[in-house]
Amino acid sequence: MSGKKEGMVYVTTLQERIVHWLLAGSCLFALLTGLGLMFHSWDFIAALLGGHYAMKWMHIFSGVVFAFSLAGASVMWWEHCKFVPEDAEWVKKAGGYLWDAHDLPPGGMYNAGQKMFFWTVFIFGIIIVISGLIMFNPLIFPVTLARWAYMLHAASVMVIAAFFIIHLYLGTFGNPGTVQIMFHGWATREYCEFHKGKWLAEREKKGGEESQAA
Amino acid sequence: MTEYIKLIDLTKCTGCRGCQVACKNWNGLPAEKTQFIGSLQNPADLSYDTWCLIRFDEIENGSGLKWVMRHDACMHCDWPACVKACPSPGALVKTETGAVVHDPNFCIGCKACTVACPFDIPRYSAVNENISKCTLCYDRITDGRKPACVTSCPTGCLTFGPKAEMQVRARARAAEISGVVYPNNPKYQTNVLYIMPAEIRAAQLQHMNPNPKMPTTVLWWKNLFKPFTLIGMGAVAGAAMLHYMVRGPHEPEKKEGGE
Repeated sequence: MSGKKEGMVYVTTLQERIVHWLLAGSCLFALLTGLGLMFHSWDFIAALLGGHYAMKWMHIFSGVVFAFSLAGASVMWWEHCKFVPEDAEWVKKAGGYLWDAHDLPPGGMYNAGQKMFFWTVFIFGIIIVISGLIMFNPLIFPVTLARWAYMLHAASVMVIAAFFIIHLYLGTFGNPGTVQIMFHGWATREYCEFHKGKWLAEREKKGGEESQAA
Repeated sequence: MTEYIKLIDLTKCTGCRGCQVACKNWNGLPAEKTQFIGSLQNPADLSYDTWCLIRFDEIENGSGLKWVMRHDACMHCDWPACVKACPSPGALVKTETGAVVHDPNFCIGCKACTVACPFDIPRYSAVNENISKCTLCYDRITDGRKPACVTSCPTGCLTFGPKAEMQVRARARAAEISGVVYPNNPKYQTNVLYIMPAEIRAAQLQHMNPNPKMPTTVLWWKNLFKPFTLIGMGAVAGAAMLHYMVRGPHEPEKKEGGE
């Protein structure tokens, strides 16, 4: 944490931001190389990366980075992403995203939508990692299991890829002031009151802005 | 270019293994160190260097014990699961002759084809990091010759010719011996056909898929999840843009002057 900034709240730790970008970067690179392997018509991706053989290994190594950063992210955000009773209300009102909702319960560190994104990435990420491990050497597994691995790998990518676009939109254009939290860690006080009222109150009760965001 | 069919008449195989040797010879495949497995089958399985194998089965039915020698190699599917699963353009190709050929120069060694194949044909070599299998002697048949195995066959068990002609011949021969043509799934046809005598069923023989078809997992993977990955991303991106235009950014309502 680099000192205190006037009117700003320190939301994420350096560790959180690093793990976030490792997870995001490896996921995106694996998606890019995976699409390059799945769509023959997109062989410009392979051409750019040095051919399909090279791209296969890049896909595998980005998968390894993804697996480790997914483990790190799960440990860091597990507690934050447990559902609480207020989340039901948030979901009923769609978080105020689709129609006006003035009486949303004050938000925790993450809202119900973010939690859903976390659990989606967690569950389908695990399926992707396990099926990917099977696909690395399918010959040592029963053929039915190996075939399911290829199918589930693609199915899970379909889910995560769609959620990723939502995440990208809501983390940037959809919610001004959010993206910087994952770069330098700071958000305006107004932002935190609006999005994370409960979290801000609890944190200030515990010892003010100087305390590290967990 | 004509499409061809290789016909295997199980009533005529004597297990001489001429095809097995001719295949090795023409394709320059090295011999393998083999082991006695208590069977007349040798080597025990297809491999990276053995694209064609005489399989030996002892089956029992009403008329007592029966020996079955079966020429086993790539079936050259009309709609090959291996080609559908292959991520590298040019590594596995369904050719105009009907033959499904592999090109080690383009194979990236991902092994997807070995899993997708309904006949368990492609074999992976960790040393070469690619797969190999029978090519129906693509280099011979495009030169007007028959595959090496067919050329070597002394009994007429293996025959080769234009597709339409061979299909007629297969049906005629099956009728003659009251047997069946394998495979007989109209949705999953192959450029290799077996004449099966009535007393032998595919399910009784090792390494013979009684119901060959495109694996459902491959279909769902390639025909559903693959396109819907892009459709899903596109639809969500469109929805996000629409949301931004209709609802705008999600911000606190009270705006202070000048901000």
